[in-house]
Amino acid sequence: MESSIGDTDRRKFLSRTITAIHAAIAGVVGVIIGGAISSPMFGRQQETWLPAASLTNLPENEPTPVPLRIAREDGYREVIDRRIVFLVRTANDQVTALDSTCTHLGCRVSWDAEAQLLKCPCHGGQYDRTGTVKAGPPPAPLARLTTRVEGDRVLVRV
Amino acid sequence: MHILGGVVDWLDSRTGIRTARKHLLDEELPPGVGWWFVTGSVLLMLLAVQLITGVVLTMYYVPSPEFAYDSVFYIMTNVAFGRVLRGLHFFGASFIVVAAVVHMLRVVALGSYKSPREVTWLTGVILLLVILGFALTGYLLPWDQKAYWATTVTVNIARSGPFGTWISALMKGGSALGSLTLLRWYSAHVFLLPAALIGFVVAHLYLMRRHGISGALKQVEGHPKPFYPYHALKDTVVSAAVFALLLTFAIVFRPPLDALADPADASYVPRPEWYFLSLFQLLKYFPGPLEPLATMVIPGVIVALLLLLPFLDSHPDRHPLKRPAVTGGFAVIGAALIVLTYLGYKDTPAHADPARWTPMALAGREFVADPQCVRCHTQGGAANPIANTRVTRDPEWLLAHVRDPEMIAPGLRPIPSGAMTESQARSILSYMKKVRSGGTPPQVSEDLATASMVFGRFCAACHTIDGEGGTAGPDLTHEGMRHDAKWLKDWISEPEAIDPAANMPSFAGRLTDEQLTAIANYLAARK
Repeated sequence: MESSIGDTDRRKFLSRTITAIHAAIAGVVGVIIGGAISSPMFGRQQETWLPAASLTNLPENEPTPVPLRIAREDGYREVIDRRIVFLVRTANDQVTALDSTCTHLGCRVSWDAEAQLLKCPCHGGQYDRTGTVKAGPPPAPLARLTTRVEGDRVLVRV
Repeated sequence: MHILGGVVDWLDSRTGIRTARKHLLDEELPPGVGWWFVTGSVLLMLLAVQLITGVVLTMYYVPSPEFAYDSVFYIMTNVAFGRVLRGLHFFGASFIVVAAVVHMLRVVALGSYKSPREVTWLTGVILLLVILGFALTGYLLPWDQKAYWATTVTVNIARSGPFGTWISALMKGGSALGSLTLLRWYSAHVFLLPAALIGFVVAHLYLMRRHGISGALKQVEGHPKPFYPYHALKDTVVSAAVFALLLTFAIVFRPPLDALADPADASYVPRPEWYFLSLFQLLKYFPGPLEPLATMVIPGVIVALLLLLPFLDSHPDRHPLKRPAVTGGFAVIGAALIVLTYLGYKDTPAHADPARWTPMALAGREFVADPQCVRCHTQGGAANPIANTRVTRDPEWLLAHVRDPEMIAPGLRPIPSGAMTESQARSILSYMKKVRSGGTPPQVSEDLATASMVFGRFCAACHTIDGEGGTAGPDLTHEGMRHDAKWLKDWISEPEAIDPAANMPSFAGRLTDEQLTAIANYLAARK
């Protein structure tokens, strides 16, 4: 009877040892592959200032679409993103940059000079020249990008 | 705990999971089953690691000549634990080959292939071939020099045998080694071979359980013991030790990545991975029309003998000394493989020391620091820093770009003023390749930096050092053995003053005295 109890304890101990070693191996492999799989989640977005326009060429108070080309690392590739921003020059030579992406479902808005509104072609979202929602389903104003004026150059942070 | 038990009870009632577990783990093993019987489990663990790491590698790897090399480089440099991940996969391949051979030798030594386990043996031999298939197809995937040239040799070996043209075309997938070849080998590596591997492993394990373990050579007194936990502990301990060793390799050593595959490079000396070195060496002894003997006949005979072993040696006696033909045969073949591998290894040219930078690479490093380059190639700039930009481009494209960056994206950036010489452009490429193949830029003296820049800008158009540069003039790699610094300075300044028929242009007005001294001293020091 005693030896049977001893044997059971021994079996339990051995089982736990095996489980612990397997868990250690699985843990190490898990950290390595988990890190590798989730690696893109921890990537940092790089920000840069891009020259977007000449200040004197921007009409006052009228959103002007400006195409930006942004070189970006896409994993092992370098790609060029094309992005349209609306630059609005105010009376005191300040410049506001509005992202052209509709905050509703991501379509591109365009400037309707007659209606003096930025309109989204998809679901009728409308914004004024400051990006504030005037009509339609957009839940938020157009995103603003930080700008800087250096002499005659307008730079946008992307 | 109570809830977990309830869930397991429910699952068991629906699936019979407890019975299956009991069936798998409670197999009674004969007394005397010792540590030698862990080799199969070690192999199984290594295959599992290979499978898991392989799946994760495919999340980043791209099987195209345009991106394969850069995606592997990306894995090693940008993915968290990427270097270790690739290290586990790369070194794991070698570990598996060793483990498979050790397992096979254990089976042969203890006569475990004998009746009724002949089919178990056959599945094992097929698994060995599948493993070698993995090793071979995995080669090409990084699309570096070693990958490209080793595969070229493999395809040409296939061509030398019967139906060679047909088989080599099948292996290439197209008229030449290229994207179709890479896709084909990738498909084999990640779909066909894993399917075969899993199928044959399952069959091998099933047959092992069906006939039971062969056990010790002599009857050992005692009672049978269940596999779990008694033998499972031995399996686990040795597997853990092997895994720890593999992990150490993966952490300590950088898995190699040669320079980008260059089909035009005539200077590269291809050598296979160590487990194919014996075949490579064998090939040297059978030149010309005898070549198929080394590439087909001898390996074919060995594989055939392995497959037929249980039928050729059907006597029930398992003791190795009572089977002198088998034991002797394996000893001879094993010794031959070891000797051939050693000879092949001895004949392998030393890899270029990554710590040693050629003057062109050093010059390239100086050139890319030019404000004209850095203006765009900077962190957060219009383009990536040059050390990070991908090199999987046609050399002519890169050359055109570094000479005229406008062509990469017209309108994106202003054209730099002034043109770059071709040798300057080539120096930049040399620098980029050096960085990509793992070389850390060395700290160099100001004189060496000056000499390298002079060489990269002016001399490399005609002269070569360490395999890089032009061929119109003499190779300057060991120039110091021919001339001293004073003579060299005079020669570079005014060649015609020394030899009126000299072809070399004068650099007296084009280089400063400091530059002339630096390059002359540098060349004189190259013995």
